[in-house]
Amino acid sequence: MIRGMVIDLEKCIGCRSCVVACKQHNAQPAGNWWNRVFTPGSSRHLSPPEKGREYFLPVHCQHCRNAPCEKVCPVGATYKHDDGTVLVDFERCVGCRYCMAACPYGVRQFNWEDPKKAMKRYEYQNEYTYGHPKDYRLNGRLVYMQSRFKGVVEKCNFCVHYLDQGLDPACVRACPGKARHVGDLDDPDSNVSKMIRDKNGFNLLAEKGTEPTVFYLPPKRKEG
Amino acid sequence: MSNSKKIGFLVTGLLMIAGFVAWIYQYKEGLVLTNMRNSYSWGLYVSGLAFFVGNAAGGLVLSSLIYLFGVKSLKPFAKIGALTAFANVTAAMISILPDIGQPIRLYHMLLHPNLNSPLVWDVIVLNLYAALSLIYLYILMLPDLKGPLAKIALKVDQPKEFSEKWAKRLAPFSLVAAMGIHVITAWIFATQGGRDWWNSAVLAPDFIAVAVASGTAVVFIVSLLTYGFKNEHQQAYRSMAIIIATAYFVHIFLMYNDFIIHYWYGAHEALETLSITFIDYGLAHAFEVLAPLAAVILLLNKKIRQSSGAMISSCILLILGVFAHRFLLMPAAFDKIQLSMNPLGLQHNYWSVPISSGQYDPFIDTFVTKWHYFPSAIEITIFLGVIAFMCFVVLFAMDRFPIAGEAEA
Repeated sequence: MIRGMVIDLEKCIGCRSCVVACKQHNAQPAGNWWNRVFTPGSSRHLSPPEKGREYFLPVHCQHCRNAPCEKVCPVGATYKHDDGTVLVDFERCVGCRYCMAACPYGVRQFNWEDPKKAMKRYEYQNEYTYGHPKDYRLNGRLVYMQSRFKGVVEKCNFCVHYLDQGLDPACVRACPGKARHVGDLDDPDSNVSKMIRDKNGFNLLAEKGTEPTVFYLPPKRKEG
Repeated sequence: MSNSKKIGFLVTGLLMIAGFVAWIYQYKEGLVLTNMRNSYSWGLYVSGLAFFVGNAAGGLVLSSLIYLFGVKSLKPFAKIGALTAFANVTAAMISILPDIGQPIRLYHMLLHPNLNSPLVWDVIVLNLYAALSLIYLYILMLPDLKGPLAKIALKVDQPKEFSEKWAKRLAPFSLVAAMGIHVITAWIFATQGGRDWWNSAVLAPDFIAVAVASGTAVVFIVSLLTYGFKNEHQQAYRSMAIIIATAYFVHIFLMYNDFIIHYWYGAHEALETLSITFIDYGLAHAFEVLAPLAAVILLLNKKIRQSSGAMISSCILLILGVFAHRFLLMPAAFDKIQLSMNPLGLQHNYWSVPISSGQYDPFIDTFVTKWHYFPSAIEITIFLGVIAFMCFVVLFAMDRFPIAGEAEA
């Protein structure tokens, strides 16, 4: 089974709920965003590049089948889980950032400083913390932790810490327009496989040969 | 010990201490003290790796020329070649240590090496090359290990013949290992299909060309500083000048060959990397081409080769140009966002997806498409410390071991 995601751009309203849910649930340090939503063609979110021509593009780790980040990691800290999810072992990562140079999607982020220190600097009150509080180990490997080590790389982990509980990733649950779908890409009858087939699912930077497991459905033609 | 030597030890010593202290401070605070951020995630330290690896080529050039191609005039410089090779390849490895976020975890490279990673290959080949150049140096020094140094000398009947024989036997291996360090260091970058600037078949041969030029220049400088100007070395000066010049022109050919085919086709990705190099970093690019060109023209001039100072200055100019070249490995790779596209339905709008920098600041955007990188004071201090380390190793070895001893041709 390959767990994949389909994002229906016709249904994305650009509200960025997924961005905030992702940031919160995954306790992302200041300045790091695993998930971003943009208005293509425009330098400002929600301002159309041409009148009536805007659509919204969520971008996060594409969990590539041919993942350059996984191949370059000298210590195997970035690795692929059985279901195709590309994960980072926070205890193994040496922080060489080769994976960041390798990733064409720019979704990998580094802990340039101790996140706790940054929180203090930005004047969060009373030791406020956010995010899933417990560490999560998958077969012994630390693939989620609330307070990151300084000097390690992080990125979308497909909310692997919610998988046990049968929960979809935070971004999927947060999406008010139900633009995001998760399913088995290996099963031709799964919801995601059908959507990709019926609605011309496409990948970002398909020409780079990374074979992402995140697919996008094009938005319908806009009326001028 | 002469005064100039004392000053040398003092300056390199102080710079090494400053660099080390800066590194400890950076280790404590995190890489936030550098000017790198998520969108521009490699900077001076990794450029430094490529720079020092290139400078380590001296051993290859000399040993192969002397022992494989019989260029006898270079023989007095063979030990210097092996020594500068060792010093620079060690400096290369040290220069990436401060780039590592969790250096203490580096033992994972031994416990769980990912054999797919060009970085693992590079660590292996750099260590191998360091060991090989040490062995080489030892073999070349063997006949001169006398007096107090006799206790580290290998007991053989005829040290001179032994040394000669094994230097010859090792030469092909050191040639392969030396090609290896440049090719594999280039592969770290060239394998990355995600970065148009690096993803080129020409990068590995170009790394060899640049390395032959800068590695020879390093040996040239050290030889002149050691022996001073000597008339009987004229032939060697000429040989080294020709090697440097040839390597430089091969490098320019390889580099511009790559530029021209991409520019002609005119794909957006290629034009963007070229415009970063030629416009945003135009001055640096002019310097990386013209400084070594000037150096080469000078070195090829017979009159210049009559003055030790002029030759040293030319070599330094060349090495500075090569340093600019190594620095320029990064801007066109990181200031171009790979995830760029024509938004659906908008034919004239080429747009890049911004990257979150990893730094929150209420007054500047977190999401960036360009990061104006210039190394921070900490990065520069650490880098100077690594340069000082390289010079210190050379000075120290020269002081303690019979390296300057004139071997008979």
